Amino acid sequence: MLEVKNINKSFYRNEALSDLNLSVNKGEIFGLLGPNGAGKTTLIRIINRIIQQDSGSVRLEGNLMTNDDLAHIGYLPEERGLYKRMTVEKHAVFLGRLRGLSKKDIMIKLDYWFEKFNVNPWRNKRIEELSKGMAQKVQFICAVLHEPKLLILDEPFSGFDPINVELIKQELVEMRAAGKTIILSTHNMKSVEEICDRAALIHESKKIAEGSISELQSEYKSGLYSIRFRGSMIGFVNALWTGFELVDKEILGDDKFVAIVKMRRDNSFQDLLKVLIGQIEIEAAWEVLPSMQDVFIRKVSGDNSDLN
Amino acid sequence: MKNSIIIAAREFKERIGARSFMIFSILGPLFILGLIYLLFTFGGNSKQKWNVLVADHGGLMQSKMMPTQDPSVVYSFYEGVITENEFAEAEKFQQYDALLEVNQKVLSNKVGFVFYRESPDLRMESRIKYHLERRLEEILIHRFGKISLKEYRKIKQPLTLKFANVYDPNNQSSDLAGWVGLFYGALIFAFIFLFGMTILRSVAKEKSNRIVEVLLASVSPKQMMFGKLIGIGFVAFVQFAFWLIIIGAGLYYMRENIFPDMLDAANLNAETLTIKAGEQSIAESHFAAREYNQFVELIYQRVQFVNMTSFFMLFFIIGYFFYGALFAAVGATTGSESDGQQFVLPLIFLLCFALFAGYYTLNYPESSLATFFHFLPFTSPVVVMVKLAQGYGEGESYQIYLALIILLISAITMLFIAARLYKNGILQFGHRVGFKHVFKWLKKV
Repeated sequence: MLEVKNINKSFYRNEALSDLNLSVNKGEIFGLLGPNGAGKTTLIRIINRIIQQDSGSVRLEGNLMTNDDLAHIGYLPEERGLYKRMTVEKHAVFLGRLRGLSKKDIMIKLDYWFEKFNVNPWRNKRIEELSKGMAQKVQFICAVLHEPKLLILDEPFSGFDPINVELIKQELVEMRAAGKTIILSTHNMKSVEEICDRAALIHESKKIAEGSISELQSEYKSGLYSIRFRGSMIGFVNALWTGFELVDKEILGDDKFVAIVKMRRDNSFQDLLKVLIGQIEIEAAWEVLPSMQDVFIRKVSGDNSDLN
Repeated sequence: MKNSIIIAAREFKERIGARSFMIFSILGPLFILGLIYLLFTFGGNSKQKWNVLVADHGGLMQSKMMPTQDPSVVYSFYEGVITENEFAEAEKFQQYDALLEVNQKVLSNKVGFVFYRESPDLRMESRIKYHLERRLEEILIHRFGKISLKEYRKIKQPLTLKFANVYDPNNQSSDLAGWVGLFYGALIFAFIFLFGMTILRSVAKEKSNRIVEVLLASVSPKQMMFGKLIGIGFVAFVQFAFWLIIIGAGLYYMRENIFPDMLDAANLNAETLTIKAGEQSIAESHFAAREYNQFVELIYQRVQFVNMTSFFMLFFIIGYFFYGALFAAVGATTGSESDGQQFVLPLIFLLCFALFAGYYTLNYPESSLATFFHFLPFTSPVVVMVKLAQGYGEGESYQIYLALIILLISAITMLFIAARLYKNGILQFGHRVGFKHVFKWLKKV
């Protein structure tokens, strides 16, 4: 869907992007991660043709991008504003027309979106009269009004209350199901884990990682497993004997626990289950993966040691 | 282009709907009308009684002017030659307001000269011309006596009386009409400054509330800047139209009801005329009617409004784009709104300089510096207005078109320079603007 190749961009002597390559597949939610000042916004601006790269290319559906392609891109910048004196409807019509829609089309789409996001009571109110969350909903609607094939969202959840964060997430998932491609630049790692299919990590103007979320997490996995069980903790520890090590435990109730276990020697997860069955009542068991937050911090800090 | 129009339409609608727009569109011209009324009523009344010295070298007039004495002009006669300089400087002539030069030639070429110290109003000019013309008729009839006065009037040629300031016989320095030009020029700059500031504030605001990034994902910075210039320009145009209509209607109303034209037959009162007919000639009764000061005459008779307004429009539009682009560029290069205010200072200085150039031209229209200002795009909108009001000499009218073309080329160049600054500056936030930035952005494609 979108291919970014060997992009370089400098602002005078400061290198903003260095030989950056990215590939975003059609119908996926792609996370663009990185600390502040890493170059994410610069990359997004280049994709949106707001600024020009010094070298390299951006291809959309195989073709070099032109200004005409902007009609197929929706963009919600991090630092987004609205004309405070305009009414919600007029503002949406203005931005929709800039994206090439006719007024008639805009009105039809607005009816749908305003209904869905419950904006109708504010339709003829001035932007300055809206709450921050409501203004953000309007901004989101303006970004998706022209039904773009590619939607680029820079920190879309900032400023939203948890209910609206869920609303937006839900909407993004629906859009993905409808075949849209979404690039999500965010610091909200929980959202990345929840809705992103793949992600790239940019640090100090370079891409330092790219892959599916599970691939990225696997890179830092530590061989820990969690077991939720009913029974006695003493029985559980006895069953482990010398082949496994109890790293941590959490008491959920009188006879209910979550235990985190590390393998010793060549023991596998299968072996662990074998020794436990019959000793306790296993409710659930899973491999402990690092959170994206951990992956992010470790990648950025250059720490390659196992998580313990 | 389509996107520029959408942006222009938004700018236009937002501003035209603002209360301040309506207030300024109506109160502004009413304020100017009020000033004009005050000027008409109280402003510099011209001298009502004139002492005219007739330099009658050949004794043509025989120390006579009119059979009946006109209370507002007293003629004295001097049978000799008086040069303008003598009249201007010599102590003994200081009591006279004007020198009327008459010699034998006047009988054949029908051209006389009047050198005044203070500019006479139109009615005083008519009076003197009327008196001299009547007297010359008498002299001619007396000389070639075989024809009746009535028959002679049928075949006579009109007298041309040329008026000149004795201190400035070549009429180089300012006159009132020039002030009207300066007023027009100042009006151009007032509008340019007002709407230039609107552009600057609007750009700086879009930067500070970050809507600019949303817009830039759909339109190029150049389209955005043009859209803004066109939209706000239309607002200025509509506002100016309001001013023109209200001031025009106000002047018309004043002419019809408060300061009617006394030389217009339609305004003569028949009854008064009949009574006065017995005592005075009809022309005299005209003179006896109420008189106005020089401003009334200036506004209604001397200024060529149609001509000036047409050129005003042209210079206003092109000048607006020239300066507007500059304001937009400043707005785009600033890091914050308050930063923009600081950068306005040089622009204000530039506009003041243009007004000064207009004033300078008013006083020294023939100087080479005035000619330079006439063609300099920063100052030409004001200076051309002043020159236009003063009147271009024969064969000089090409200068106005030359100035227009120079301004047009400069405006186009300025638009390109501003577009580059706009493009490179619009997404830079929170920096302190220095000339270093500006030069960098100018160099960057």
